[in-house]
Amino acid sequence: MAPDAENHRLNNDNPSVQPPGEETLVERARRGDSAAYEALVLAYQALAFRTAFVISGDAADAEEAAQDAFVKAYRALGRFRAGESFRPWLLTIVANEARNRRRARSRRTALTLRAAAELRAPYEDPEEAALAAESRELLLTAVERLRDDDRDILACRYFLELSEEETATVLGIARGTVKSRAHRALGRLQEELA
Amino acid sequence: MTDLELQLRDLAAHLDVPTHPPLAGAVLVRITRARRRRRVLTLAVATGLAALAVALAVPGSRASLLRFFHIRGAAVTLVDKLPPLAGHRSLGTPIPLDRAPFRLLLPSGRRPARLYAGDGGYWLRYPGLLLFEFESGNGATLIKKAAAGTHVEYVRVGGETGIWIGARHAVFLPGGPPVAAGHVLIWQHGVLTLRLEVAVELDQALAIARSLR
Repeated sequence: MAPDAENHRLNNDNPSVQPPGEETLVERARRGDSAAYEALVLAYQALAFRTAFVISGDAADAEEAAQDAFVKAYRALGRFRAGESFRPWLLTIVANEARNRRRARSRRTALTLRAAAELRAPYEDPEEAALAAESRELLLTAVERLRDDDRDILACRYFLELSEEETATVLGIARGTVKSRAHRALGRLQEELA
Repeated sequence: MTDLELQLRDLAAHLDVPTHPPLAGAVLVRITRARRRRRVLTLAVATGLAALAVALAVPGSRASLLRFFHIRGAAVTLVDKLPPLAGHRSLGTPIPLDRAPFRLLLPSGRRPARLYAGDGGYWLRYPGLLLFEFESGNGATLIKKAAAGTHVEYVRVGGETGIWIGARHAVFLPGGPPVAAGHVLIWQHGVLTLRLEVAVELDQALAIARSLR
């Protein structure tokens, strides 16, 4: 089952990622209304930061990338086509900024897992929890060993839960390529885990 | 969805992603600053064009314009021949210092010997020194013409742009005939444009300009 584009719950701080009247806000921002643009930034800042962080692996880089992306998006609003969705357009800029920063570093900063104690429910079996944490650790290590393009497509599809269409826009590839590339990346991940 | 895909989804929920920093404030500051810079640039271009148009509108200037200097409220052109100059011109109506509608800047804080309202601004007369202050708009209030070969240069005064004219030249003020002037420093200071005429060299003129408060 493909991730559902309409059902993103990634932005925990602001679950209503699609703010009401987004088209109006974009149009007002395009005409120079900074309050309208502020509303867009507030709606997307968590997702933009998370996207940049998942790609770059570094909080400072992610903050810088997300901030620069919002500024660049504002300057490019004149080129934004009315009727299109702001979200994938913005995320494309965010992803580019994050990738540029990742390239600037000689090595990628690996993602880590949250401390098990932070997540464990009080009724969870401690042994089961330890085993689950171990398998997550192995999986994350395997993901981090993948090439950047494999890791990026898995990050878009499973860590950010972007739809195929959004992933295609963000990574600048054809929609059909998303499926085949994700399939190959999953295969290589399986090999890493073997 | 395969097992591996489900595991990746589960992994996403366990990633240590820091809470996002508040971005809106910083973004707004940056876009507002950029917009202001663009406005200033647009205004500067418009002002420059307006000043050039005014300078060109002065009779006899079109054919002989050799070089053009401009700051907000003032324009200086180098021409091959100066126009005939009037010997003397009234500075305006003498007024008390506290009658100026904006706070005048005074060299080293010293009060002028006399203050005059005229030519769209205020003339401050000191022994051996004449200072003209006016709130500058888009057009050029001060039009100056200097003969080709006259030392004219852009200078920096307290972080703002100025023009130094190091020789005798002609001044066109609104509604009057051109008059002769000597060494003059013109510069911007916030919303004001200032013109300092004093028989000293550039470095001393700059020192006086920097002492204004």
